Amino acid sequence: MSVAEKKPRVIEPDSLIGKRIPKMDAPEKASGRTRYIHDINLSGQLYGRILRSARIHALIKSIDTSAARALPGVHVVITAADIPDQRPIGVARDHFPLKVGRVRSQRDEIAAVAAESEEIAEAALKLIRVVYEDLPVISDPEEAIKPGAALIHPEPHGADGTHLHLKQGTSIAHKGKPDNIAMTFDYVHGDVIQGEAESDVVIEDTFRLHYVTHCCMGVSGMIAEFDASGNLLMYSNTQVPFLHKREFAEYLNMDPARIRIIQPPIGGGFGSKLDIYPFEVICLYLARAAKRPVKMLFTREEEFLASPTRQPVLLTLRSGCKKDGTLTFRQVHTLHDNGAYTSWGATTPFVMMQTFSSLYRVPHCDYHTAAVYTNNPYAGSFRGYGNLQATFAIEQHMDMLAERIGMDSLAFRLKNAQDSGETTGQGMVFKSCGFKDCINTAAQRSDYTRKFKENEVNRSRPGNIRRGIGMASMLHVGGGAKIYPSDGCGTILKMDDFANVTLITGASEIGQGSETVLSQLVCEELGLPISAITVVNNDTAITPWDVGVHASRTTFIAGNSAIGAAKKAKTKILAVAAKKYECAESDLDLRGGFVIKASSGEVVVELSKLLRNLHFQDKAELVMTTFYYEPPSVHQDKGFKGDVSAAYAWGAQVVEVEVDTDTGRVRMTKVTGAHDVGRVLNRLGIEGQIEGGVVMGQGYALTEELLIENGVMKNPNFRDYKLVTAPEIPEMDISFIESMDGEGPQGAKGVGEAPAICVAAATANAICNATGVRMFELPFTPEKVYRALHGQTPKLYWKPWRADQ
Amino acid sequence: MTEPKHYFAPTSLDQAVECLKDGDVTILAGGTDLTPQSQSGKLRIKQTLMNIRRVPELTGITLEGDEIRIGALTTITEIMENALVKQHFPVLVEACDHFASDQIRNVATLGGNICNASPAGDTLIPLLVLDASVELASMPEATLYRHSMPLSTFFVGPGKTRRSLCELVTGVRIRVPGPNHIAHFHKLGTRPALDISTISIGIAGTLKEGILSNVRVAFGAVAPTPVRASQTEKALEGQRLDAVTIGKVAGIARDEVKPIDDVRATAWYRKEMIHNITKRMLSHVAQA
Amino acid sequence: MLLKHDIEFTLNGVKRQVSVDVTTNTLAMLRDVIGLTGTKYGCGEGECGACTIQVDGVSLNSCLMFAVDCDGRDVTTIEGLANDSKADALREAFVEHGAVQCGFCTPGMIMQADHLLHKHPHADADSVKRGIEGNLCRCTGYKKIVDAIVAVDGAVK
Ligand SMILES: Cc1cc2nc3c(=O)[nH]c(=O)nc-3n(C[C@H](O)[C@H](O)[C@H](O)COP(=O)(O)OP(=O)(O)OC[C@H]3O[C@@H](n4cnc5c(N)ncnc54)[C@H](O)[C@@H]3O)c2cc1C
Ligand code: FES
Ligand code: FES
Repeated sequence: MSVAEKKPRVIEPDSLIGKRIPKMDAPEKASGRTRYIHDINLSGQLYGRILRSARIHALIKSIDTSAARALPGVHVVITAADIPDQRPIGVARDHFPLKVGRVRSQRDEIAAVAAESEEIAEAALKLIRVVYEDLPVISDPEEAIKPGAALIHPEPHGADGTHLHLKQGTSIAHKGKPDNIAMTFDYVHGDVIQGEAESDVVIEDTFRLHYVTHCCMGVSGMIAEFDASGNLLMYSNTQVPFLHKREFAEYLNMDPARIRIIQPPIGGGFGSKLDIYPFEVICLYLARAAKRPVKMLFTREEEFLASPTRQPVLLTLRSGCKKDGTLTFRQVHTLHDNGAYTSWGATTPFVMMQTFSSLYRVPHCDYHTAAVYTNNPYAGSFRGYGNLQATFAIEQHMDMLAERIGMDSLAFRLKNAQDSGETTGQGMVFKSCGFKDCINTAAQRSDYTRKFKENEVNRSRPGNIRRGIGMASMLHVGGGAKIYPSDGCGTILKMDDFANVTLITGASEIGQGSETVLSQLVCEELGLPISAITVVNNDTAITPWDVGVHASRTTFIAGNSAIGAAKKAKTKILAVAAKKYECAESDLDLRGGFVIKASSGEVVVELSKLLRNLHFQDKAELVMTTFYYEPPSVHQDKGFKGDVSAAYAWGAQVVEVEVDTDTGRVRMTKVTGAHDVGRVLNRLGIEGQIEGGVVMGQGYALTEELLIENGVMKNPNFRDYKLVTAPEIPEMDISFIESMDGEGPQGAKGVGEAPAICVAAATANAICNATGVRMFELPFTPEKVYRALHGQTPKLYWKPWRADQ
Repeated sequence: MTEPKHYFAPTSLDQAVECLKDGDVTILAGGTDLTPQSQSGKLRIKQTLMNIRRVPELTGITLEGDEIRIGALTTITEIMENALVKQHFPVLVEACDHFASDQIRNVATLGGNICNASPAGDTLIPLLVLDASVELASMPEATLYRHSMPLSTFFVGPGKTRRSLCELVTGVRIRVPGPNHIAHFHKLGTRPALDISTISIGIAGTLKEGILSNVRVAFGAVAPTPVRASQTEKALEGQRLDAVTIGKVAGIARDEVKPIDDVRATAWYRKEMIHNITKRMLSHVAQA
Repeated sequence: MLLKHDIEFTLNGVKRQVSVDVTTNTLAMLRDVIGLTGTKYGCGEGECGACTIQVDGVSLNSCLMFAVDCDGRDVTTIEGLANDSKADALREAFVEHGAVQCGFCTPGMIMQADHLLHKHPHADADSVKRGIEGNLCRCTGYKKIVDAIVAVDGAVK
């Protein structure tokens, strides 16, 4: 074959977007080779354990650690008295890692030990003697809010204005509370009184949402080590390494620049690693005192007792509509059980109010909430962040209002559903909105309307199995959430001589598969196969700043950031190629590892060769770029108004159930979901996220509940805290609505939290469709459903609490 | 946790019972109860930990005359897969199918389930309605002594049995049922298995021309031990299973049990379920 | 002091001797004494399956097994399976079907699935679900795990 005859090689266009790309770390994980925190051991490491309170609410009269200190193999024993510079931690800076003077819940940390082995540390804890003086226990938020209730945080009360307990450290003054109210939120748009006057139908109900917890399969843990110069190295699974560096520094009274956080692969997150918890700070104290690395791991029981929970909520909702199906107003009061301390759970109203104000068009909306201190476990952030609770109430009321005006519940939803282009009463602007498509798709694919009617008719048939179908919809931020002044993420990208890319991103991988999606976005931009990329995302000494993994933001924010860096690299490469091959940059493109002619796909040069040429020349150059992406969202004003996210995710789910009226057992048979995800980037990954979320929602609806009695957790184990197991899962039919968000990376929006949100609400509607009985209280355990079916459940009513009353 | 002073893994029944002589011995079979109980401190391991897993006399399922003997070390999986059991005691297979998880079924032993004496023990209900007896061995003098007792008298409280400290449970014996024998088991929980029964019910008897005789009814998780329901049995004995009888018997069953409230259910719900499930099971028997 | 006992057993095809505390469980022995960390601790009580291994060809929860009981037996952990080409199809199916998210349940899931497939090479979705009822997964919702295990049937032939 002569040179003249040789056809130029042509690379056909191909795309990674929308494909089923396996997670990059899956082969390691499937071989048991991945090293989680639990699997990392440093030489010279000691084992830390924590002594927790034996009482729920009590004064600590004395602590005697002498026997524990004397035990062979024990290096350090610490109590609050040993850490004179302790500072209060948490979202409201309302507790010390090691409790001072008083314990307020079962989990409270009293002392800690670092020893040669876990067994020795455990034995040492048993030798610590604590004398308590019991105080009255408040475990019911309704009691806690009553005037004259015993105070959980009575400080400050000293004559000189300083408080009794939170006085160590001091630079951050804890204000103390004259009552048990930890936080309040009041949101208003329109005028609900006017809205009510315009209504033909008004209904009011109280809903009760229960305690559940994350149950990450990998228990919490960390390793801390101070080097000879006092620099701190932490192995931690925090979702927020950069912000937490500063916080840890504050708690340790040290320079944040001297802290480095490495995040090993995580055994599940779901929001649980958003806050700093006492055990982490205690582990640092131990390492500082012992001058040795200290590893601390929870047992499963401890994980139950001392991890954050989803926030339990008592909620009274008053809603109205006109006969023609137009929603008129919505008035909401909620009481949140904050537990003994304040973590992110207290701030879930941020998200709840979005659902109340903006999921449907409501001209008038009032939302008032108080999170109150009790002696219960304290609530943190958990996938969905308040939205499961809000949606549970709203979506039941949608069915109830529709029934009252004799309108089809699907038509009623569609009539009030938001559309793209709308700005809501709360100031959210819906640029891309596939909400109606979601509702229609879920309804059609599940044959909702026909089944709904058929089930109603079948209620009176003989037999003990009743079928039901129910729908619920949701809105959640899908383009980050500007809760801090910045919601950005940084990327560093470098290419080597072989056209391999290293993507260094600030966005942590917490099991959600962000690493793979970011790789796809970069490789798509640079025309490379997914095998050509390495991601570095777990070391604050290397990675650029990111605000943290929360609010379903990583795909959107880190994705845009990664694309930005890749685009810059591409521009540079094409410029070099254009110069070398004497053509316009716009005539060229990158594809399949080659520089090609954009029009024909003809190969111009192998990318690696071009990069080597660039590198090994007189004026050597490398392709390395950086990018920082800040979404065009705004920080909310004092009235919580403003377009807080760059994009919003929508969804609708239809749940089908079989209720056994002999036993009250509810079997979830099918979930049909339709989610507006902007665009599907990795089909395998997003299906997995949705399916996992649906089943988590199933557990919330049917089986999971932390039973707390007088502050004592009755079921801190998987035996009686029931996660869904494989045989229980429903058939799942998931559709994706691709609304192609203009700002999103390749059109995508964040959906990590979305799938769990609707399930409980839709299940409640399905049970009602099956049996005619409304369930106002979660979870729908057999006994609870059986009682409701037999009229054994008193009507729940909570009189709204008002700050001005 | 207390630490044993000796560990012993006998390889014959004689060695095992001899070791038991001084009584200060904790017996280890599959360990699925012993491990969590000793690690949580609920159970103290005694001077000697004796692992009986290597004692051949404790294994196997055999037909001996008109009885089937199931060795104490037989695992739940082995029971489920055994041809003799499948043929003669499908009710036992049914119960095993609702037992824990595959991993646990693979090691949990029948002897362990019996000796652990949980009111919710899943094999115990079918064994009770099959009139099983427990085989025990000891060595009071120099030679092996065996005897057996009806399972219905074996349990005295949660975790407590009539087994003396020097005795080893070697197996159970069940008479092969005659013609027209029926036996059913129901476990109420939210999962197919890996769930502690909220309640469980076993019903057996001879069904001839619509009339039930030799009735055995047992309930799990409604009393400190698994129990036979004598009043319910009496009410059913010799009766034709029509709707009226079934309704009446279900009511008697509900009144007969005295369950407690716990994290899994209230006493009220348990009583309701005894009523509803007894009724459902009897209706199925009547229809079959 | 703690009573120690010497045992000898086959671990992933290799004979070895260890001296273990009599009350230690097999999970702790594997992870802390021997240093094989692929087998995971999820609950220590038999409820989660993260610690699943195979002993003499059957799957079990290593957290419920006294380490001394390994004496004379044939123990396989995920590390052993990872080097066994017969299990390639299973591991690949987990990867390709998206059955792995955080991956913490994965070693136990694979050990159990391998046992299941040995017993029932053509298990359908329902029997696979029952087969892994002792393995909790908080991330995936199980569907892709079930898909992966069912798919191995086709892949092996
Ligand atoms: C997660 C989990 C789920 C479970 N689910 C169920 C369930 O669904 N249904 C159910 O019934 N049980 C269940 N169990 C309990 C347990 O698995 C069973 O009771 C099992 O049969 C115990 O058998 P083993 O061989 O493991 O007993 P071991 O733990 O070895 O022993 C149990 C007790 O019996 C004694 N013992 C054992 N064998 C003998 C003998 N031959 N002679 C005298 N004493 C003896 C031991 O000393 C010990 O006190 C579950 C346990 C766990 C951890
Ligand atoms: S760690 Fe063994 S079953 Fe959970
Ligand atoms: S993949 Fe995370 S627990 Fe299963």
